[in-house]
Order: sequence, then structure tokens, then C-alpha cells
Amino acid sequence: MSILLDSSNRVLVQGVTGQMGRFFVADARRYGTMVVAGVSPGRGGSTVEDIPVFNSVMTARRETGADTAIVFVPPDAVLGAALEAIEAECRLVVATADQLPVREAIEIRAAAQAKGVRFVGPNSPGMISPGKAKLGFMPSFCYAPGPVGVISRSGSLSYESCERLTRAAFGQSTVIGIGGDPVKGTTAGEALELFHADPETEAVLYLGEIGGTEEDIVTYASRPDAKPVAALIVGRTAPPGKKMGHAAALIGSKAEGYAAKVEVLQRAGVFVASGVTDIVRQVESALTKVRNLI
Amino acid sequence: MMLMEYQGKDLLRSVGIRVPDGLVVESPEDLPRVLSNARLSYPAAVKAQIEGGGRGKAGGVLRAENEAQAAAAAEQLFKSQFSDVSPRAVLIEPWLSVKQELYVAVAVDGAAGGYVMLFSAVGGIDIEEAGHLLVRYPVGAPWRFRAHEFRAVLETVDIDFRTREKVIMLAHRLLSTAASRDCTTIEINPLARVDEGDLVALDAKVVCDEWAAFRNRTIFELRQKTKESVPPLLRACLQMQHMYVRLDGDIGLISGGAGMTMAAMDLIEQLGGRPACFLDCSPGPHSARSYRPAFALLDGDPEVRAILVSIYGGGTQMQRIARAMQQVVPERTSTKPVVYYLNGTNVDQVPAIFAEFGAKNHESLEEAVTEVIALAREA
Repeated sequence: MSILLDSSNRVLVQGVTGQMGRFFVADARRYGTMVVAGVSPGRGGSTVEDIPVFNSVMTARRETGADTAIVFVPPDAVLGAALEAIEAECRLVVATADQLPVREAIEIRAAAQAKGVRFVGPNSPGMISPGKAKLGFMPSFCYAPGPVGVISRSGSLSYESCERLTRAAFGQSTVIGIGGDPVKGTTAGEALELFHADPETEAVLYLGEIGGTEEDIVTYASRPDAKPVAALIVGRTAPPGKKMGHAAALIGSKAEGYAAKVEVLQRAGVFVASGVTDIVRQVESALTKVRNLI
Repeated sequence: MMLMEYQGKDLLRSVGIRVPDGLVVESPEDLPRVLSNARLSYPAAVKAQIEGGGRGKAGGVLRAENEAQAAAAAEQLFKSQFSDVSPRAVLIEPWLSVKQELYVAVAVDGAAGGYVMLFSAVGGIDIEEAGHLLVRYPVGAPWRFRAHEFRAVLETVDIDFRTREKVIMLAHRLLSTAASRDCTTIEINPLARVDEGDLVALDAKVVCDEWAAFRNRTIFELRQKTKESVPPLLRACLQMQHMYVRLDGDIGLISGGAGMTMAAMDLIEQLGGRPACFLDCSPGPHSARSYRPAFALLDGDPEVRAILVSIYGGGTQMQRIARAMQQVVPERTSTKPVVYYLNGTNVDQVPAIFAEFGAKNHESLEEAVTEVIALAREA
């Protein structure tokens, strides 16, 4: 299994006629993702890579049975496009856009919750269930199927980390980019719940950074029935009070800094990597813990 | 991006929240004009205007009993530095007689899935040290605010009910303002109860969402001003939307993606080097136009001895980055060594392109970091 995404998702691409949309269609289909429709208002009736393009999400859903949406539209159109996919009751909506005003993210999250739709993003590379389907623009060669669930606040860091896991023969059940913004469609805590319920996932790797707190991870890892969690927090060398690229990567108080985060994670029994080169060792420890228990 | 206190107070005033009736001094030359304004009254608070907190502790707020003291205080503040920056302006406002100091804030909060409201019956506090005095009301989306829910939270705090009801109305207005004006934080610390029982914002910390610049003129102009206030080499980077934070080391970093940039910084330090900066060039990652100002900035920085280009791209395609490097790197006049770690989509096409201009792409981040540390030591 995997979480949210597998070979059964029928994917529609909003903004399919743009550069990122076209790139995604070709790349995701090569990976085996079932891309069934594109949406681009005004371009209905045309095709992209022989996939039919529709004027609205609702029409695309009706005509093709699409049930999953990925949004590749300019920042000022993201809110409208995401709300359209949510109101059309797609089961999963992914928005990768970065530099999205936080007010938009708040509104999309609230709408998704009201409709019971799973929203992932913004400021995320999307997600991938290796060997099954990809719903984002991560490089495919970094991944292999396996028992590690990965949750990441950063796209680039998740590629680097997953390539290391894959080379060490630790495959992944699903890799979900929850994004680098403060308000997320899916939080680390929500992703942990999903991995907890997924029988294929034996351990979870959390790729975090300075800024905010890790209450979600600590709460989960402290549960008696928790699956083992490994984590990397980047930004040990980041100065306080400066935004490190991501809107949420800002040390506003001591609790949001590297040392405090590592301390609370370790106290909760999380296997904390000392840096990106130490990830494989910590994931191995987490998996060993599971296998010793069985 | 943070507004200065007087800008924050202008925002509060514009939505009907009471603030002291102050005047802004833009420069030392501007001082006589402001001091002659009949609106000033004494005693007065003379306050350095900086973007950032901790000003009170650092002596950035002075009391003046008369015009001569106000002039001396303002001149002193203009000459002072707070966290390495000189005040951009000085605010002079009446020193009010205060019955009680409170704390109220509305801020974007991940755990709340939107906004959270914070309140303390003790104002003027350092939140870092006195966080336990705060009560929290997680609101989420702004339209989910309910006065009775906030009241239930405030009923756990020792506060007169008349004041409490005023706080609820004020906080609701702060929330609407934050949502409609794209503020991620509006903090009033302290919020003062004065003689008549009115609430007055004695300070204002307002943080704006810079990504809303495309639809918010105020934020757009603030961003422009920030860009214009920096040296030309950095300005060129900011105009490409690069994100830059100066650190105190000697290894310049040109990187893509916030997480990998920080991972590279951390690894440089772990392996015994010192990173000179966080420079994320992921906006517009494919073009030479994007990297030219980044190299110019690092080449022009006398502290930087060697440069690491570390980019792991998904939607970003490595052969296009390699082509951009091929255009930019050979045209540099600087002899600072450049070390590359490119990985991700189409990385297999990189070695052939690099061979055309004698560059080498390292197989791993640790290999590249080790190399750049060695080169920085030699330089």
C-alpha cells in the first residue's frame, strides 16, 4: 500500500497547457501515473500529449472519471483553481505553487476540510508513491518502493534524502511534500496519521527545518503504538530572525531553533540525523527497531 | 517583512484603533520642523524606528520632559545602532498615563491552520521569556472567529469584564485587518488601558506577507524600498527574486531550494568549513540572467574565498542549469574557484556540457563540500 496516491488515482492537470503542466504530463505518464485529463479554461477540445483538455474540472471529472487534481497555474490563479477542484470533490488536490500568499493557503485548507477533500501543498514538489504513481515534479530516479514513509517540508532536500535511501536499498511507501509554508493543506501530524494506518509503512522519515515547532512529530512519536520515526532538521547554521527561503523557515524564538528541536525530538525517541549524510544510518536504526519488535 | 512601528500604527489608526498622536522625524535635518509642531505635548516618548524587536531593552525608547530633551533624545537615537542598524526614523509621541498594560496579538499559525489569537493580562512582556502568561485562541480561517469562543478563553484570565469585552472587539478587528491587508502578525505589546478606560496601542509590530505584493500596493512599495536600500550587487540578486542571508564564513553558496541550501550550509560547517551565505536562486532557475548577479555578488564579496554551486532539481532541469553556468562562469573576471554539485532531472547530460568549459560535476554533496573547503583554505 501507500498513502493517498497509488495506481488507481485518475489524475487531471489544471494549467495543463503551461510549461510545467506539459512537463508534468509527459514525465508522470512515463512513470506510470494515470493522467486522464487536462483543464485549461478556453482551451477545451484541444489535447496535450494526446490527453483531452477541458474548460472546467467538473466537465473533466464527468467525461474521464478523473478523481485527483494537480494545480500548475500562476500564483494569482491558484486559489481559484484549487477551490474549483475541491468543490468538484476530487479526492486529492495537490498545489505545488510557491510564493503563494498565506491567506490563499488558509482559504484552500478551510474549503478542503469543509468538503472532506485531502489537499497537499502549497510550496511543495507534490508526492510520489514509488513504483505506482507520481503527482509532482520530483526526479523519478531518486525513488524505489519500500517500507519508509517520508514527510518533507522541502522539495530539494527530499530528492537528495530519498536518493540516499534508495541507493542504500531502503525504499519508500509514499513521499509526501507537505511544503515550506506555515499553513499547509496536510500537516506533518496529518501525514503521520496516514502513514500510521498504512500497513506497508514500517517507519517514517521526517525532513524538517528550523522555524515553527515539531509538536506534531513529538506527539506522535510519544504514543506507545507509534511507528519508529527518524528525522533530519536542517538550518543548524541559520541565524535567528532571518527567513531562510521558506516562509516558515524562520527562528522566531529559541524553541524554533535547531538545538531545541533536536532535543525535544530525541526525548520523544525520534532517531535524529546529525546531517544529510547521516540519514541512512538513522532510518536503518528506525527499521531495525520495528523488526526487533516483531 | 516587518513594518516600522509608526507604519504599523498608521495601519491601526486607519481601522479605528486608538494610537498615541505622534509625529515622525525622518532624518536629523527634519527635527526642527517636527519639534515646532504644536501637536507635540510633554512628557513625550522618543522612539527609534527600526524593523525588528528588542528595541526597548537596547535603549531605543527615551523619555523627554520638554522640547530640548526631545531634540537631544532624537539626535542621540539617530546616532545609535540597534542590532547593527541605524534607525530609519524617530517617532515622538505623548507619554500616556497608563492604568494597566495588556498584550494582544493575531498571527498566522500552522497548528491553527490559519490565525491564532494571543492575549496576556500582563503587557510589555518579552514573549520569549513570558510565553507561559499567554492564552491562545486558535481561530483558523478568519471567518471562523466567534466572540463567545474567545470570551471563554479570556474568562480563564483575571481581567475586568468591561476591558475584556473591549479586547474581544479589538482583537476581532485586528483579525479582519490581518486577513484583508495580508499581515501575518499584528502584535500590540503593550496595549494600554488609560484613564477613561479606553484601549490604546502603545506599540505595534506588524509583519506583512511579501508574497501578496502582486495585489497589495503597500507591500509592493515596501519590497521595492527594501531592494533599493541595499548595495547594487545585492539589489541585482533581489531583483531576480533570489533569497539571500549573509553569514560570517568564507564559502559562498549558490543553491536551489531552501532545504538543500540549509543542508549544504550545515554540511560545510560539519566538515570544518564556514558558509558565507544562504543564497537560494530557485526562482527563474534556468537562465544565465539568474546566476550572473549571484556570481557577481559572491565575487565582489571580499570575505568569500571559494564558491559552491549546489542544486538538486526536480522541475528544474540540470542540463539547462549546466548551460547557464557555461555562459556565466567563463565570463567572470574573478579567479575564485567554483565547485559544482548538480543533481536531479537530466543530470546525466551535465558532464558533456561541463566538459566544454572544463568544469567538473561532483558525484555527491559531501565530495563537493570537502573540495570547496580545501580550496577556500588554499585561497
